[in-house]
Amino acid sequence: MSAAWKASGITYNRYLAIAARVVRRSLKDDKRLAAERRGEMDLRFARWDNGKQGENKNLAEANEKAFAEHAKADGGA
Amino acid sequence: MNSLRIARAAAKATGAVRTLQRRGYADVAPDKIRLSLALPHQAIYKSQDVVQVNLPAESGEMGILAQHVPSIEQLKPGLVEIIEEAGGSKQFFLSGGFATVQPGSVLSINAVEGFPLEDFSPENVRNQITEAQKIAGGSGSAHDIAEAQVELEVLESLQAALK
Repeated sequence: MSAAWKASGITYNRYLAIAARVVRRSLKDDKRLAAERRGEMDLRFARWDNGKQGENKNLAEANEKAFAEHAKADGGA
Repeated sequence: MNSLRIARAAAKATGAVRTLQRRGYADVAPDKIRLSLALPHQAIYKSQDVVQVNLPAESGEMGILAQHVPSIEQLKPGLVEIIEEAGGSKQFFLSGGFATVQPGSVLSINAVEGFPLEDFSPENVRNQITEAQKIAGGSGSAHDIAEAQVELEVLESLQAALK
């Protein structure tokens, strides 16, 4: 039997990140504030074309968008 | 010359006896299990000898004692119980990860987040459950609903552990 999250296309890495986020949010407020800082990611990337740097993009947002499009394509097929 | 050879042989023999009796640095006491419980940012247990560890494995709840068969278990978000040498026990809620039983009574547990139960706020858990239920039962994208269901699974396990 496969887990429901796996069937809906969530990777194990993403599953762990969601579970960890929920656990951090469930802490008492003083510990929660210190712990939630660990869940933040602010990586940015840019695509270079012909020696010129493109637009700076947030990696987390780009991933989220790509995932949504991927899921839509899967649903349509 | 001959006496020297006898002396050397005798020294060799006592050396052999000594290695047989000596307990090496890496050996674990026969009735203990050496536990490492590590998070990315902190080691809760660092090669500490304990008596028993109860794990919420994906394949079911299991208790690990000394001389357990080597195995790798995926952990569900849930409560890990550690029975220490002094007889007391400690409980930690882990967000999910892996436990590796290595040969020779060595156990390594890796998780992303892990806290003792008293660090959790039942109120925050309850609020998150109502929120996740709203999303899971709502008309959002399939992706959002799937994520909310993962959250619900973790929260319900946490709420059961807090009771």
